[in-house]
Amino acid sequence: MSSAEIRITAEPIDDARCKFLVSEPVHDGGVRRFASPDEANGSPLVEAIFAIPGADVTEVIVSGNLVTVVKRSAAPWQVIGKSVGGAIRAALAGARPAIAPKPAAPVAAGGTDDDTLYDRVAELFDAQVNPMVARHGGRVELIDVQDAVVMLRMAGGCQGCGMADVTLRQGIEAMLQQAVPEVKGIVDITDHTAGANPYFAASKK
Amino acid sequence: MLRPSTGRLLLLLPTATYRATAFVEAARRLGVALTVASELPSTFEQAQPDALVTLDFSDPERAALQATEFARRYPIAGVIGVDDDGAVVAAAIAGRLGLKGNPPAAALAARDKHVQRRELARHGVPVPRFELHRLDEDVMQLAARVHYPCVLKPLRLAASRGVIRADDAPGFAAAFARVKGILEQAGCERSILVEDFVPGPEVALEGLVIDGRLALLGLFDKPDPLDGPFFEETIYVTPSRLPAPAQLELARCGEAAVAALGVREGPIHAELRHNARGPWLIELAARPIGGRCSAVLRFTAGEEGREKGETYSLEELIIRHALGMPLPVLEREQRAAGVMMIPVPGAGVLREVRGIAEARAVPLVEDVAITAHPGEALVPWPEGSRYPGFIFARGETPEAVEGALRAAHGRLTFVLQ
Repeated sequence: MSSAEIRITAEPIDDARCKFLVSEPVHDGGVRRFASPDEANGSPLVEAIFAIPGADVTEVIVSGNLVTVVKRSAAPWQVIGKSVGGAIRAALAGARPAIAPKPAAPVAAGGTDDDTLYDRVAELFDAQVNPMVARHGGRVELIDVQDAVVMLRMAGGCQGCGMADVTLRQGIEAMLQQAVPEVKGIVDITDHTAGANPYFAASKK
Repeated sequence: MLRPSTGRLLLLLPTATYRATAFVEAARRLGVALTVASELPSTFEQAQPDALVTLDFSDPERAALQATEFARRYPIAGVIGVDDDGAVVAAAIAGRLGLKGNPPAAALAARDKHVQRRELARHGVPVPRFELHRLDEDVMQLAARVHYPCVLKPLRLAASRGVIRADDAPGFAAAFARVKGILEQAGCERSILVEDFVPGPEVALEGLVIDGRLALLGLFDKPDPLDGPFFEETIYVTPSRLPAPAQLELARCGEAAVAALGVREGPIHAELRHNARGPWLIELAARPIGGRCSAVLRFTAGEEGREKGETYSLEELIIRHALGMPLPVLEREQRAAGVMMIPVPGAGVLREVRGIAEARAVPLVEDVAITAHPGEALVPWPEGSRYPGFIFARGETPEAVEGALRAAHGRLTFVLQ
């Protein structure tokens, strides 16, 4: 497939965060999160995104055909998004893999490595989070834990639900703060526009 | 993760709102301890009793008692309602807990179109001539004596649902029957407002009331004429292209309406018209702009903020005001901005939306958000009230922004079944 045939859909979450849905896989090796240009070394796509002038990118998360970019600058996504799209097309057309394989999990400063955190978060999701969201036909999948940041995907009644952000921040994140305080953050990589059966559909003006 | 640094905010979010993400993320950015109250329980409420609570939005006094009980365990420093019903509940809670807010009578008047017109007219605010009628009145007798053209309106439905223009007696009878059917389906009202149709361009005024004084946050033109027979909104663009004197008259009309209704604190969203006789107040709501439209408003913190590239969302301003946090200069960014509430393309079940990437590629377009989901039944106005999505654009001039919104919309194809 030529770079011109690659279709990219941008889904801004807010001024700081935007998801880019790509028509072909960007990275098949699970979720990769990059929190600095140094971490991007060896991954041409992320190197290029961190180098976008005027964007002040602080974080890039890649999973399957989804690229989530977090920036600090006030530049609109309309401008930055075009550069991100160009970087994605160039990286997919290149000879090297767009994303380098995930390195061995480092041990965090507090002595808790990501694998251990993953196990604890997975247990919390299995024992408490998913039984709760299941009452509304929802499901929360733990995708990965990287640098103590939890990446998850919402499905079923949660996907596209008007209250998904309330569930995420007031429910799941609050539970994580209490049960696994070493977790530094939570990133939702759900494509909510594809939700076909949201529990609460927005209907008011 | 972010840790709260201020008093707790009670945010009243109905489960059918578009507003959850904008407000929740704004509270996070401000580091505010947040409790979300809804009319239906969250599945996490028992596990997170400080973060989630269920209130009876249908009974503001009962909701206020429930909130008071909640506040004994988790003290509340501010309360915000995001929709018309929520604004009434917020007023009741604010009154009971001594928080910043509107008098309940003001919130009730803002919610009920008949009470609102009565109060506005009583205080000399220009409103269309209006009459209240019961649904069981003889429609033919009514049709023979109302003034044409007129507009039939439910008292409390949102988003122009059930609002129909009639130009003659047969049209009135048909419109009356249709509104009656919508109200019976909604199961909420037994009366209907009939008012004169006011010709002229319509604008939307967004403001923040602080201690009874209206701060104008934005004046939006609605370049698609809203002449009926139905009143589905489409494009909002700011700044307004109306002559400066007309804008000033509209702003003063908004100020007069705020004073007439007794609104004291918090966001307002008003619809006004302007013609040769001056400004007309069509409606004022004690809540912020609805849908996802608030994303079009972005504020700078004066010159210093502009230099740093700092911007604030409408939700951040509203939260800051509710909690008594310092407010930045209430100055909208200098660029023009606009949103299109995508018109319902027809009645049917949505299968697919094509051309989203092409629409996003239109210069000046910032986002195309499709909020209808595959399999959802789309219902046109006047029975419907849900837009299938929103298009946002920003540029140097209102004309360029409007053109971009129309061009992007032209690239979308809704496939219905």
